[in-house]
Amino acid sequence: MIEPEEGVPTILNLSEISEREREEEEKVVDIVREFGAENLIYCMQCGSCAAVCPLARVGFEWYNKKLIKALLLGLKEELLDDPTPWACVACNRCTEVCPRRVSPFEVMFAVRRMMVEEFAIPTLAIEGLRALYEYGHAVYMTGREARKKVGLPEKPPSTDSDEKALKDLKTILRNTKLAELGLIPMND
Amino acid sequence: MSNDEKPKIGVYICHCGENIAGAVDVKAVAEFAKTLPDVVVVRDYLFMCSDPGQELIKQDIKEGLVNRVVVAACTPRTHEPIFRKACEDAGLNKYYFEMANIRDQCSWAHWHEKEKATEKAKVIIASAVAKARLLEPLEDRYIDLKKEVLVIGGGIAGIFASLDLANAGFKVHLVEKSPSIGGNMAKLDKTFPTNDCSACILTPLMVEVANHPNINLLTYSEVESITGSVGNFKVKVRKKQTYVDWNKCTGCGACLDVCPPKARVPDEFNEGMSLRGAIYIPFPQAVPKKAVVDMNACIKCGGRDFSGKEPRKSKSGKPILAPCERVCPTGAADRTPYRDPNGEIVELEVGAIIVATGYKVMDKSYFKEFSPHHPNVITAMQMERLISATGPSEGKLIKPSDIPKLLEAKKKGEKIEVEKPKTITFISCVGSRDNRYHTYCSRVCCMYMLKQAMILKEKYPDLDIYIFFIDVRTPGKEFDEYYMRCRQLGIKIIKGRAGGIQVLPGDKLLVKGYDAEVCRPVEVITDIAVLATAIEPDNTLRDLARTLGINVGAEGFLKERHTKLYPVDTMTEGIFIAGCAQGPKDIPDSVAQAKAAAASAMSLLEPGKMTVEPLISEVDKEKCTGCGVCVPLCPYGAISLVKHEDKLKSEINPALCKGCGVCTAACPSKAITLHGFTYEQVLAQIKTIAKWPEIQT
Repeated sequence: MIEPEEGVPTILNLSEISEREREEEEKVVDIVREFGAENLIYCMQCGSCAAVCPLARVGFEWYNKKLIKALLLGLKEELLDDPTPWACVACNRCTEVCPRRVSPFEVMFAVRRMMVEEFAIPTLAIEGLRALYEYGHAVYMTGREARKKVGLPEKPPSTDSDEKALKDLKTILRNTKLAELGLIPMND
Repeated sequence: MSNDEKPKIGVYICHCGENIAGAVDVKAVAEFAKTLPDVVVVRDYLFMCSDPGQELIKQDIKEGLVNRVVVAACTPRTHEPIFRKACEDAGLNKYYFEMANIRDQCSWAHWHEKEKATEKAKVIIASAVAKARLLEPLEDRYIDLKKEVLVIGGGIAGIFASLDLANAGFKVHLVEKSPSIGGNMAKLDKTFPTNDCSACILTPLMVEVANHPNINLLTYSEVESITGSVGNFKVKVRKKQTYVDWNKCTGCGACLDVCPPKARVPDEFNEGMSLRGAIYIPFPQAVPKKAVVDMNACIKCGGRDFSGKEPRKSKSGKPILAPCERVCPTGAADRTPYRDPNGEIVELEVGAIIVATGYKVMDKSYFKEFSPHHPNVITAMQMERLISATGPSEGKLIKPSDIPKLLEAKKKGEKIEVEKPKTITFISCVGSRDNRYHTYCSRVCCMYMLKQAMILKEKYPDLDIYIFFIDVRTPGKEFDEYYMRCRQLGIKIIKGRAGGIQVLPGDKLLVKGYDAEVCRPVEVITDIAVLATAIEPDNTLRDLARTLGINVGAEGFLKERHTKLYPVDTMTEGIFIAGCAQGPKDIPDSVAQAKAAAASAMSLLEPGKMTVEPLISEVDKEKCTGCGVCVPLCPYGAISLVKHEDKLKSEINPALCKGCGVCTAACPSKAITLHGFTYEQVLAQIKTIAKWPEIQT
């Protein structure tokens, strides 16, 4: 279920957006470039990234192409509530087809970083982070019963079943910015 | 081979790949052609104009099989010369050739009615054969060519055409209607895609034109009339009255400032954003740098009106002088001698003409939705002047509404600060790609908007610049790279043509648009809105085309003979076109066309004489009654009444006759024969068609 999109207003007053950037003395384009999407400014809005993006296909509004244009126009606050970047499955098809080497995937992730920085993380993302911390998998494991039925160990042979690896992972995560944010309980 | 021999006609049917064979059953047509009278050989081939195709015809002629040739193929416009040459090469008089157009007038036109197309092809061929039976051998004639060229228009295209011809040794007469050459390019600040200063690259060329020994520069002049034809055009040029003695004027400019405020009018060079006096020099780098008096603006100070009167002060009896006269150090502005308001007519004789009259920028007033009355809603050409160092603000970016204030202060020697614009918005395709105005794309707007945006953004990085595009078209060398540079500078590209501009209180403008990329209506509050209004044919272009006898397309630009193959030729031989008079284009393309037109004129005139088809009219003096009906009808002035054995008879000058056939059709005594289209030949064709299908045996 896609959350109803609230953040971006029906009419964009570009002058107000620009004025805000001026007041904040920081451009959103520069922020996301700083966070890994350096090539954002080469985008010419051809749309080939959107043509292959699974998010665009299932109906997320701010998929790669549109997200890039919104950033180029200076939208920031308006985008912070949007879950789209967190739904990115990092398939990297967009990076393969981009004729300008923009790496739209990097833009998605740069926006995630910006959102974390702004403490604006949607529920969808928090669930994933919690699962990552608990099991080492961002996608919550639901197949335990099924695995048992067919005679497989309940936990897959990954971090989830490797106590030491999971402990290490938790240690790593506790030492990232994620811990500073206090978004999820981080107990041993 | 004797010419009196009984006709033995060969019919050669071309498939033109699929172009003809796709609609016409060529085999059936060939079978039919065999049944036509005097036809002895019928062949069909995939491409008759190819080498082996032509060889088929030549072989049949050489072997004596045929002595008349009918090719059923495409249009004689492009292919008649090729097949005539093939006949000539094989030893046959080339006028024993006739062409049947079964492509443009048959297969293409009836592509979906194959049976009817086949039927029509038969009729067309039968009619051509009927004419071929009556063909006569004719001999080519030659005319001498005048090795001088008239170039109309002194913009960048006219300048290059003139220089190329003059450097090749041809005498060039360059006619420009304004007081200076330079054209629209002189108004530009910088030029894409290299951003070099327009004046820096143009001015040296203008000076070269003025100093070239082979160029007769006629500025402030207009073409009045043209007679004659290729190789020998007679041209009348009106040199407009300048009201200033150009032999004395040094271009010092002393007169410019003293012209009184009442006589000041919007300055054309600054696109109306400043005023100029009635006596003016168009711009600082003008060539020739001479003043002229605009009589519509002049208020004839002190009654000095060039009528020869010498008003004197009632008390002192001293002569009254106008301010411009008073300050002129050389006496060039002297208003005492009588000057003919009609100027002077100059007569020229030239072999070829190049028309390079350029374009005009569409007026903004048509676009009510963009609040054109507001001084800060400007055309892109006005923006060029605003950012140019020779413009009304000397290149300083200010709001156009502040220009009068600034100029007033400058006059008083004061310095004032005006508010700096923070936002500039460009709107593309204003009047172009618009069925209400011009359907065509003006081709240069995308690039010049990017150019102006880039120059402004580089000079004032804090400026917010928005460009509303339908789409960005950058199809030139290094153009797309230029566009990308603009994006990287942070110039905001909005996909979608803006729909309106609303004037807000406090001199601000609200631009309403839609960004098709974020799928949202967008609004921009802007200080200056720049409309990329269309490139239009000049108002006087249609009249000039009529004077020259050349065609104008639906959109009002001059029509080239063939879009791809003869892009600088016109339907009138010896008249070439270049630059924006032919259609919107940028400077590189205008220069390329100008050089092409110059080269075409050179290759036409260089041999000094040319072959002319003998397809012209001739008077049978025995039949002519001397009624004179034909004389005024001839569009080329080729016919006159001449005493012949005591009686007036009509006589056609073969050097002037173009073979149009008007006199032939009009002659009440059928005394005039148009060779290649005789009564017998044409009637035989008509009869064949009229009697169809009975004639089919």
